[in-house]
Amino acid sequence: MFCSQCGANNADTAVVCTQCGRNLQAVTPTNPLQPTPLQPTGVVLPPGTTVQNYLVFAILTTVFCCLPTGIPAIIYAAQVNGKLQAGDVAGAQIASRNAKMWCLISLGLGIGCIALYAILIMVGVLSGIHQNR
Amino acid sequence: MSKNRLLAAMLAVCAAGMVMLGVFDPATSGVFPPCPVHYLTGWYCPGCGSLRAIHQLLHGELRAALALNPLTVVLLPFLTYGLASFALFEIRGRGLPQPFLRAGWIRALGAAIILFGIVRNLPLHPFELLVPGAKLGL
Repeated sequence: MFCSQCGANNADTAVVCTQCGRNLQAVTPTNPLQPTPLQPTGVVLPPGTTVQNYLVFAILTTVFCCLPTGIPAIIYAAQVNGKLQAGDVAGAQIASRNAKMWCLISLGLGIGCIALYAILIMVGVLSGIHQNR
Repeated sequence: MSKNRLLAAMLAVCAAGMVMLGVFDPATSGVFPPCPVHYLTGWYCPGCGSLRAIHQLLHGELRAALALNPLTVVLLPFLTYGLASFALFEIRGRGLPQPFLRAGWIRALGAAIILFGIVRNLPLHPFELLVPGAKLGL
């Protein structure tokens, strides 16, 4: 079957497009003459929905905020795409939530570090003023 | 509406950060916080030197940026594209076209980032060139 978003050729049983990640299940026209096939377990996404893997934010927090907490976010991002490939949309959504959580933890830690540094600078400046008096 | 405001705030923070990075050199000014990993452990993390590298890039010094953190320079275009796509998705409901990355590639990228972090701490000859600024004698 061809993806309605990017036109890539996918296996007929594919749940998501291997090229762009678009959900193929809900847009597949069902043949009314044949009995409806067994629905795959898990949540069926509305057409065109993709499961966000937060990879960009995971890399940002790892490489730009110098935070090791970005590593689990990258691993969960890989899990999102791996589960989408395997057709496990529900599992992908769980992994997506975990990826988001680790990104937010990293963001919080990053902001915490910057705030701590700002406080230390302020204290340094204040004590400097104090000593000069 | 509040989502739009959040997006506008994020864009403003990004823009302000870029201007700050262009004006102040993280290597010489104390405006930017040091890497917490390097500060606490003395080890270089995969991201050490990335702020200095972006400062050098903003001044058109590609070689200096590569000497400070080659990983950042390589990843920056992809991250910029990804962030632009995210912003466009929030604005018009459709992002830029993005290829679906196979799980193996993402794992390989994660492994490459970790490996870069390990290798640049090794006190062996070819690897010590990956220490931030080693090739510049900084």
